[in-house]
Amino acid sequence: MPELVEKLSFYLDFPFVRYAIVVGVLVSLCSSLLGVTLVLKRYSYIGDGLSHVAFGALAIAAVLKVTNNMLLILPVTVAVAVLLLCTGRNARIKGDAAIAMVSVGALAIGYLLMNIFSTSANISGDVCTTLFGSTSILTLKIEEVYLCVVLSCVVLLTFVLFYHKIFAITFDENFARATGVNTTLFNLMIAVIVAVIIVLAMNLVGALLVSALVVFPALSAMRVFKSFFSVTVAAAIISVVCSLIGIVIAILAGTPVGSTIVAADIVAFCLFYGVSLFRGRGV
Amino acid sequence: MGLACSVDEGSDLYKVILAFLLVVAVSVLAKDPKAKGTSKIDIDLSRMSSTMVFAQVNQMVTTPQKFVGMRIKMKGVFSSYYDNETDQRFYGCVIADALACCSQGLAFSLAKPRKFPDEYPAEGETIVIIGYFDNVKEESGESYPIIRHAEILKE
Repeated sequence: MPELVEKLSFYLDFPFVRYAIVVGVLVSLCSSLLGVTLVLKRYSYIGDGLSHVAFGALAIAAVLKVTNNMLLILPVTVAVAVLLLCTGRNARIKGDAAIAMVSVGALAIGYLLMNIFSTSANISGDVCTTLFGSTSILTLKIEEVYLCVVLSCVVLLTFVLFYHKIFAITFDENFARATGVNTTLFNLMIAVIVAVIIVLAMNLVGALLVSALVVFPALSAMRVFKSFFSVTVAAAIISVVCSLIGIVIAILAGTPVGSTIVAADIVAFCLFYGVSLFRGRGV
Repeated sequence: MGLACSVDEGSDLYKVILAFLLVVAVSVLAKDPKAKGTSKIDIDLSRMSSTMVFAQVNQMVTTPQKFVGMRIKMKGVFSSYYDNETDQRFYGCVIADALACCSQGLAFSLAKPRKFPDEYPAEGETIVIIGYFDNVKEESGESYPIIRHAEILKE
């Protein structure tokens, strides 16, 4: 044990490890907050769809040799999030079908572009890192860390300021509309925030595992807590703790960061499920 | 007597100055990272987990100017590549991962050249190398990182 502490202390001297921890905590906090709303609105899988869109946009940015790929990824992901979340009910292709179509389409086009217009000597490495987040959070530049901090603060502030409206839209959109809440505006806001979180979370766990950050903490908290507020707070704590544990295990044991964080989330879910069974509440 | 005493004192002073210069020279040499025989390692990649090595080597490749001149110790597998265009053989120390997609490595050139392949390790053999990090700039404007004046500790 003292050896592990010494090793961890040695690793913490590296700036990129400290950046990873800061970004990991912020992204997991933001994703868990919105995760509760998305799970309750039956949009659990949107994280997966949008992350694939972000992957496709990343491939286009790489082909076009855009220096700051965030300038392309963020607007594209936000646009698709707005299309999926705000026009879903009136669209000809609805709900899960639209998400599935966008998800696999973007993934395929992204991989195709990366292969045809290869800009790197190690395509498999780039794809592996982007999809599974094997080490991407440990290769962040300081500008990316600042951008992540700013965007996370905006997301947190928006969530806290509009908590009651988000609560109303989450549980009964029709009732919220009847009471004078501008549901279109707030759905648009949620779509934009979800897209921002997805793009940020891609650095943490990779495109294929983003849904886990959104879904697992919320579902774990729902096993034990029952009010919207307590579930939101518990999901945030679970998500942050699991991310920290995942990052620490990944750098100590040399495992891929993204999948280690998701594994920690799965263990937490099992623990909370066990607690709920023990308390006689069941699933 | 007084003069003799002065000569002795002068001789002692001369010895003291010589000893002082010797101590300074030794301490300066000890602080010079490129001084031969020093055991100081600036970055010991052989102590790190594969995830940390990937991240650290990525830092060294993306911001080489921060690491030029540092003494690096690295453990990985030996790999070599022959470039037909330049008629040169490059040697590398590669840290492979389980999926073989996120491998990272650095080229190295030995302080005491050897004959290839007889005096080099076999391809894929685990090696530990120590040398000085450098960033080679080619005429085309491109650059690549390399460990210079390297020695292979373990074959």
